[in-house]
Amino acid sequence: MRERMYVNTFWASVSIVLLLVAWHLLAVLLDKEALPGPVSSFTAFFRELPGELWGHFWISSYRVAASLLISLVLAVPCGMIMGREEKVDRLAAPMIYVIYPVPKIVFLPVLMALLGLGDVSKIALITLVVFFQILVPIRDASRSINPAVVNSIRSLGAGRWHLYKHVVWPAVLPEMLTALRIASGTAIAILFISETISSQEGLGYFLLDAWSRYSYHDMFAGIIALSLLGFVIYMALDGLERYLCPWKYV
Amino acid sequence: MHDGMMLEIKGLSVGYRQPKGEVPALRDVSFAVPRSGTCALIGPSGCGKSTLLYVLSGLLKDFGGQVIVDGAPVTSLRRQTALILQDYGLLPWKKVYDNVALGLEIRGVAKDEQRERIRRVLTEVGLWEMHDRYPSQLSGGQRQRTGIARALAMQPDLLLMDEPFSSLDALTREHLQGLLLDIWNSKRITVVLVTHSIEEAIFLGQKIVVLSGHPGQVIDVVENPRVGQKGYRKTTEYHILTSQLRDKLEQVGTVLNLPG
Ligand SMILES: Nc1ncnc2c1ncn2[C@@H]1O[C@H](COP(=O)(O)OP(=O)(O)OP(=O)(O)O)[C@@H](O)[C@H]1O
Ligand SMILES: [Mg+2]
Repeated sequence: MRERMYVNTFWASVSIVLLLVAWHLLAVLLDKEALPGPVSSFTAFFRELPGELWGHFWISSYRVAASLLISLVLAVPCGMIMGREEKVDRLAAPMIYVIYPVPKIVFLPVLMALLGLGDVSKIALITLVVFFQILVPIRDASRSINPAVVNSIRSLGAGRWHLYKHVVWPAVLPEMLTALRIASGTAIAILFISETISSQEGLGYFLLDAWSRYSYHDMFAGIIALSLLGFVIYMALDGLERYLCPWKYV
Repeated sequence: MHDGMMLEIKGLSVGYRQPKGEVPALRDVSFAVPRSGTCALIGPSGCGKSTLLYVLSGLLKDFGGQVIVDGAPVTSLRRQTALILQDYGLLPWKKVYDNVALGLEIRGVAKDEQRERIRRVLTEVGLWEMHDRYPSQLSGGQRQRTGIARALAMQPDLLLMDEPFSSLDALTREHLQGLLLDIWNSKRITVVLVTHSIEEAIFLGQKIVVLSGHPGQVIDVVENPRVGQKGYRKTTEYHILTSQLRDKLEQVGTVLNLPG
């Protein structure tokens, strides 16, 4: 077990080193101011981090984490119920299908008018996007649970509550984590856009500001921070999966 | 109510509602199983054997005719009826122990008693050492034994099994058939099992109900009182009955795939 962890860490390091080397070569080859190499970008990153950058990083992390959490709390129960209760599904599914394909970013002006320019409107927008990205796969997973499993548990005397607790919830868990992985990428993209529009805080703002100052080192420091944010979320989800789905790791 | 019939089925008909109309699954099925008896249901694929078990378990309530379990019509799930389905009974996210505990948990049995009963039934089926494993870490036979343990933990008086041993290799199958007979001998549970195998039906069913297909109807009920006697498999009677039953199934054009 421990050995495997070392092996994994080793290959993760190799992979990141390769990426940095490729970046470096590309920067050297192109030799453009707009694409600084990793050395100067990381220098800028560590120079900015104790100052302004950390604050922006923190705010962006908090916004993404809060949105993911809220979406999860809303979408997982809704998805499980829609997948299992036909009547609810018949009423709710058309709504979902109508709203799902609309790019939610178009609601940003409405949300900003209603909820202001601060955290709340941004979190609401990301939640709106991520909610559907989690809801739909959870609903499908909960619907496709093998009826024989459900019947054999019902034959033990299980009512609705027991079914949700012992069957539906564990059955949709892996799906939930997969959906979250995909959604976290979208969440960061939406966060970025929302932070570039009339905003004074967050990595989106930091990047745009650096760009407008033609400070490409700072811009790449911001990009590093963004990828770090994604990486942290990814690692957290990995840990969560190990913790929540131990039967998948035997 | 000590002697008499555990199961009485009179004129049972079941249809599945489909978009194109009702598909009949069982028609006018009647037979009875005495208390502490065993009964094997045999018939071609799709003839309604599983459907019949669902009705007996109380899961399927939409049927015509009369089904009486232990003197009372089945209207819903019955506490002392245990159902074991072929492959799907165990939850992959629960360890053996927790899978066996599930029925007790659902029925709110106190933890102390749960622990005691689970240890007892898992020991009985020879799986106590495996209690900390997930189903994916078990062999097919061990999984099926876990399913049996879960049913036994509920202390049933009626055990319904849907092709319990059909996915196992011959040796494991014979071993588990023996285990089932041992359990039946010591607890005198009424057992109804669905099978595809003529040999299994004769080895385990004191009463063998032969069904025809589409919709399922009872063709014959064969009495087979020597079930459970030592060395029954090696007797001439067993072999004669085997070929008689095979003839019967062939007569009605029933092609069964016979495991060796
Ligand atoms: N949920 C369902 N909805 C509609 N039709 C069904 C359903 N379940 C079973 N049937 C139909 O009812 C008939 C009997 O099915 P059943 O599963 O009881 O057969 P079986 O004897 O157990 O078959 P097998 O030996 O293959 O397991 C079949 O024709 C099947 O197509
Ligand atoms: Mg069947």
